Amino acid sequence: MRGEEVVAALKDSISDDVLIVSSNGNVSRQVFTFLPQPQIYLRGSMGLPMSIGLGLALAQPKKQVIIFTGDGNFLMGLSSLATIGNNLPSNLRLIILDNGSYATTGGQETVTSSLDYLKLLEGMGIKHFGSLNAIESPTKLSEAFEILLTGDQTAVLHIVVGDDVENLENIPWKPIEIKEKFLNKFG
Amino acid sequence: MIDSAELISYLHGHGFTLASGVPCSYFKELFIELEKSDKINYVSATREDEAVGISCGYYLGGKQSFVIMQNSGLATIGDALTSLAQLYQIPLLLFVSYRGLEPDTDFPEHSIMGDVTEEILNAYNVPYEILYEQDWQDTINRAIEEMITNNEVVCILVEKGVLSE
Ligand SMILES: Cc1ncc(C[n+]2csc(CCOP(=O)(O)OP(=O)(O)O)c2C)c(N)n1
Repeated sequence: MRGEEVVAALKDSISDDVLIVSSNGNVSRQVFTFLPQPQIYLRGSMGLPMSIGLGLALAQPKKQVIIFTGDGNFLMGLSSLATIGNNLPSNLRLIILDNGSYATTGGQETVTSSLDYLKLLEGMGIKHFGSLNAIESPTKLSEAFEILLTGDQTAVLHIVVGDDVENLENIPWKPIEIKEKFLNKFG
Repeated sequence: MIDSAELISYLHGHGFTLASGVPCSYFKELFIELEKSDKINYVSATREDEAVGISCGYYLGGKQSFVIMQNSGLATIGDALTSLAQLYQIPLLLFVSYRGLEPDTDFPEHSIMGDVTEEILNAYNVPYEILYEQDWQDTINRAIEEMITNNEVVCILVEKGVLSE
């Protein structure tokens, strides 16, 4: 499965109540295209989806917050994982869509291939649900996702996805519209 | 010297409930008071751009926070500022220590950033004011009003001795 196929497959498991932060480039377009709107679609601030998700989870402790990040974004903001491990808001979930590349900018390799994600997460004191290889075992996705969402603690799901990407349309909303529509959720 | 506990109460009175940042010795007292505070939740960040991210996420969750950093951190937050906070017009208050001024000559690591601190803020189009003990409430009021009215990032520069010995 490619990243956008994974995102699209999760559609039915995501309730309207869930708050999503999506990293810049393709991932935010995938979330915009396939998941309930409005969510936080990052145009820039590469590396910051984890910190933005942490802030959001602290502000809205009764809502579940899911961060969708590419591996390039994840690696750039790696130290935010330590901060998340230090705070562990029970409503925060992180999904790493690991395609091993900066797909948005042409598929250049990231340094992900030499990284042991699970050991990293363990070292940061963060619960994880293993690595799911969505290329080899796509049928395991919905169960893994269900487990991720039903727990009562900060948790991470690392998903290995294909690096061949479908070009999705640019997000038509202006950044200010994204902000206003998202803030409207809270009345 | 401004009483840090009073400053925290004052900011809390204006709706701030969280702070994030990276320490500078100019804010030593403020960090001691934040540790004790049940009004403002302090989230220690690993980098200043992360602190901006946490604050922006907190705002997108409907709540207001502020960021504390050394002026060296202004070099780190460029992308967080321009492609997140300013792009989405997120109101954000930055407390930035103003290091590198005389008589800070024992710390050469601050002198070059000290020389360009205000130029950087001008280049980023971040309005700023320098905080003084006499009229600190007025300064903070103006900054908050500007931040809210224009949905913008506003900076308060803090020199040595204003918030800590
Ligand atoms: C600070 C910064 N550097 C570089 C870029 C250019 N850029 C935009 S998206 C992207 C790739 C993001 O990679 P990843 O998070 O793995 O997502 P993918 O593109 O693989 O879906 C890059 C490098 C940027 N936007 N900001």
